[in-house]
Amino acid sequence: MSTQATERTSRLHRPTPTRRRRRSRWQNVKENRWSYFYIAPFVILVAVFTIYPIIASLGYTLYQWNGIGSPTAYVGLENFRKVLHDHIFWRSFGHTFLYTAVLVPVQLFLALVLALVLNNKRMRFSTFYRSVYFIPAVISPAIIAVVFQLLFSNFGQNIDSKLMSMHLMHKPVDWLGDPHVVLWVIIGIGIWNTLGYNLVYFLAGLQTIPEDLYEAATIDGAGVRQQFWHVTIPGLREIGMIILFLAILGSLQVFDLVQVLTGGGPFYASSVVNTYIYQEAFGGGFSAAGGGGGASVQPNVGFASAASFFYGLILLVITGGQALAMAYMRKRRREMNAAAIEEARL
Amino acid sequence: MAATTAVRRRRRGHGSPLRMPITHALLLICGFFWVYPMLWAIAGSLKSDSGFLDSGLGLLPHGTHWHNYVDAWNGANFSAYFTNSVIITACTVFFTLLFASMAGYALARTNFPGKKVLIGVILVTFFLPRGYTIVPVYDIINQLYLLDTLWSVVLVQVAGAMVFNTFLFMGYFRTVAKEIEEAARVDGAGFHQTYFYIILPLARPMLATLGLFSFIQSWNDFMTPLVFTLGQPHLRTLSVGLYAFISQTSTDWTALCAGSIISLAPIILVFVVAQRHIVAAIAGAVKG
Repeated sequence: MSTQATERTSRLHRPTPTRRRRRSRWQNVKENRWSYFYIAPFVILVAVFTIYPIIASLGYTLYQWNGIGSPTAYVGLENFRKVLHDHIFWRSFGHTFLYTAVLVPVQLFLALVLALVLNNKRMRFSTFYRSVYFIPAVISPAIIAVVFQLLFSNFGQNIDSKLMSMHLMHKPVDWLGDPHVVLWVIIGIGIWNTLGYNLVYFLAGLQTIPEDLYEAATIDGAGVRQQFWHVTIPGLREIGMIILFLAILGSLQVFDLVQVLTGGGPFYASSVVNTYIYQEAFGGGFSAAGGGGGASVQPNVGFASAASFFYGLILLVITGGQALAMAYMRKRRREMNAAAIEEARL
Repeated sequence: MAATTAVRRRRRGHGSPLRMPITHALLLICGFFWVYPMLWAIAGSLKSDSGFLDSGLGLLPHGTHWHNYVDAWNGANFSAYFTNSVIITACTVFFTLLFASMAGYALARTNFPGKKVLIGVILVTFFLPRGYTIVPVYDIINQLYLLDTLWSVVLVQVAGAMVFNTFLFMGYFRTVAKEIEEAARVDGAGFHQTYFYIILPLARPMLATLGLFSFIQSWNDFMTPLVFTLGQPHLRTLSVGLYAFISQTSTDWTALCAGSIISLAPIILVFVVAQRHIVAAIAGAVKG
C-alpha cells in the first residue's frame, strides 16, 4: 500500500507530459474521495460561518448601514475615519488597556504564588484547594452577573454596611453604578473569574521542572530563595511567556463579563472595545436586560465592522510583536546555551 | 495516571512543618472568600423572601425553603430553559466531536490533493483580523430559515468550535501508530470501518477532553443563544433565561438565586466528576 503511494508521488515529481500528470492527479483525487467526504462538514461550516462572514463584514465597512435589508449607502472609507475620530471608541480602548494592564500582572502574580504553594510536595489537600480556586472559571458570565448584581444590591445588611461597620469606608458605594468605581469592580471580578486557568497553567509549568535540578541545587548548598530564583524562575520562563501571551490576548478581547455586568455603562464608564462595537452594531437592541450602557444608539453595522477590523489590526500588531519577541528570546537563549556548552568543552 | 505520578514527582517542600497549618488556614480562609459569592447564592436559594433581606450576607437560611426551586422551575419557566440547554449542548457536543474528528482523521492520515491549500487558508483566517462577523452570520441563519430555532444555536456553536477541535484531533491522530491502521486495512477494513472501529476508540481520551470543553463552552455560551433566539422567549437557554429573569423580576431574589443554582449545578457536577481530566487537559493545552 505505502510503497505504491511513494511510487505514485515520485512519479508525480518526475517531469512528465502535462496530460499524464493531470490524469494521475485526478486519479489521486478519486482515490481520496472519502477524505473529501470526511472533511466536507468541516470545510462547509468553516467556509460559511467563518470565512464568508470575515469577507462580508469587510464589505460592510464601506457602507453606512443599519443592518436591515441590504447595504446601499456607499461611504468608502468614511467609517474608518469616523472610528479614528470617535472619542468613545478611544475611551473604550483606554478602558480595555487599563483592564489588561491591571488584571494581567495581578492575576498572574496571585496565580503564581498559589501555584508555588500548591505545588509543594508535602502540601496535603492540594487537589481540593486547586478545585476551589478553579471553580469560578467554569461559571457562566450570566450567573456571575446575576449573583454579583444581587450581592451588590442595596438591601438589608449588605457589603456596604459590613465595610462601613469595619470602618473601611464612610458611605455606601454603588458598585456597578458609580462611574468612578465600576471599572475597578469589573477588573476585580475579572481577576476572580479567570485566575483558575492561570493557576493550572503555572502548576503544569512547575511540574515540567525536573526534580533533579532542585536536588542538585540543594547539594550545591542553594537555599530556598536561591532555588526559586535560579531553578524555578528559569524553568518557568518558557511556559510563562505563553501564559502571559494568552492572558494579554484574553483580556484585550474581554466582552461577555462586561456586557452582562454593566453593558458598558453607566455612560460608557466601563465600556470596553468589544462592548462598544456590539452596541454600535445592534444599538443596544440585543441586550436582554437593557444593560444600562450609554444612550441607545442607532445601529450602524458599517461603523461596527470598521471598528472591529481596526481593533483586529491593533491586536494583530500586539500579538505579532509578542510572538516575535518570544521567538527572539528563545533564539538568544539557545545561542547563549550553545556558547556556554562550547565554552565548557574548551 | 499521569497526574498521580506527576504529583509524586513534585519537588521537595520547603519550610518547616510548623508553617503548614498557617498555610492551610490562609488557603482555607482565602478559598472561602473565593467561593463565597456562590455559597451565598446557594444559601439565598433556600431562604424565605424576608429571610433573604434579614440575613444579608449571612450564609445560614432559617429553615430550608425548597419552594424557591419550584418557583423558578415552574413559575419562571426554568424547566423549559433547562430542556433547551440540554438539547443544544448535547447536539453541539455530538456534532462538534463527529465533524472535527472526521476532518482531523482525513487531514492527519491521507494526502489528498488540496490539503496544503486548505490548511493554509484556515491558518490565515485564524490570524486575520475579524470584522464584526455576527451580523453576516445572523444574515446566513436568517436566509436558511433557521432564525429562532434551537438548530441555529447548535449550528453556530459547532461551526465556531470547528477549527480548534479539528486541529487538536489532527495532532492526536498523527501520534497514533500507522501500523494499527495498516493492519486493519490488511484485515479488509475499509475507510469508514477503520475510522469507526479503530481510530475513534483509540481517540477516547481526546474525545473525552474535547467533549468536556465543548460541553462547558456550549452550556455557558451566552451571546449565541441570545442573538439567535431573541424572538422566541420559550427557546431561551438557561444563561439567557436567567439573564432575562433578572430584568423581569426585581423582587423575587430567592427564585433568582435558585435559577442561578439550577444553571450552575450541571457544570459543577461535571467538574467535580471529571476535574482531574479537565485540569490535565487545560494543562496539556498550554504545554503543547
